[in-house]
Amino acid sequence: MEDLNKIAPNLSKQKKENPYRVPDNYFDDFSARLQTRLESEKHPIPEKGKVIRLLKPMLGLAASFALIFMLVYWPLDKFLSDNVAENITEEINTVDDHYLSMMESIDEESFYDLLEQQEITEEYSDDELISYLSASVSDYDIYLESDY
Amino acid sequence: MLNEDRELIANIKQEDTKELAFQELVKKYQERLYWHIRKIVMNHEDTDDILQNTFIKVWKNIDSFREESSLFTWLYRIATNESITFLNSKKRKHMLPLTDVSDYLMDNLTSDPYFEGDRIQMELQKAILLLPEKQRIVFNLKYFEEMKYEDMAQVLDTSVGALKASYHHAVKKVEAYLKNVE
Repeated sequence: MEDLNKIAPNLSKQKKENPYRVPDNYFDDFSARLQTRLESEKHPIPEKGKVIRLLKPMLGLAASFALIFMLVYWPLDKFLSDNVAENITEEINTVDDHYLSMMESIDEESFYDLLEQQEITEEYSDDELISYLSASVSDYDIYLESDY
Repeated sequence: MLNEDRELIANIKQEDTKELAFQELVKKYQERLYWHIRKIVMNHEDTDDILQNTFIKVWKNIDSFREESSLFTWLYRIATNESITFLNSKKRKHMLPLTDVSDYLMDNLTSDPYFEGDRIQMELQKAILLLPEKQRIVFNLKYFEEMKYEDMAQVLDTSVGALKASYHHAVKKVEAYLKNVE
């Protein structure tokens, strides 16, 4: 532009020198580096490699899930289920202990007596039953037990 | 087109001389294309990538080069398109509007370990960076490389008139910026 001095005096005062530089030997080495890249472009990745490259993100995702499962879910699950099982076992053991201590407190003779007593088929007359009930049960208890 | 370039292309299109002639083409144009790309993306590493991509595209498409334009405008066109594609990918990556990548480029400029200019030159580069992308490319090609508008029209696929107007606007904006910082 011939009239640069007129329309842009500040710009026309500027040096036109290139203010940038490149790393040492950059242009000497460029051709060789380009050749290497062209060689790699000439030999594309084999089909098998391509499949692996396509599957890589999915495999990565699967591996991440497996890792999360191993590190979080599995120990948590294992820890919780062990605790629950322990509690149940403890409860069963307590019931068993209680039953055993009760059984131990009964001697053999008393035990057989109890069994025999269950087999008693003694019959009572109506009068006997009425007198037994009037002696041991109040009218209020009878009222509560009745359907009305 | 220069006879020398015509011969170079003919040799690249022949299987037995292809590789050697292509190396010759790279040697001949690598610096010019490098500086053209560098002024668009401002960073050496990005420029290196884009320059390699440019030559790989040339290698792959040389057989379809119809020789209607000169070799150097064809090369510049590929380099410009590769640079713009690169900037567009940066914009997408940083969720920037398609017209704005100046912050990214300004960071590249101010942190560039390979910038050796003085304060005035830095201000000029900042002023150029504030131009819209197309004006910036036009300004660099005309002001620094002194490319003819006719060649530039082939590189940028724009009319000569539009390029002249674009350069004029760019010069006015750069001048206004420099006036303010003085």
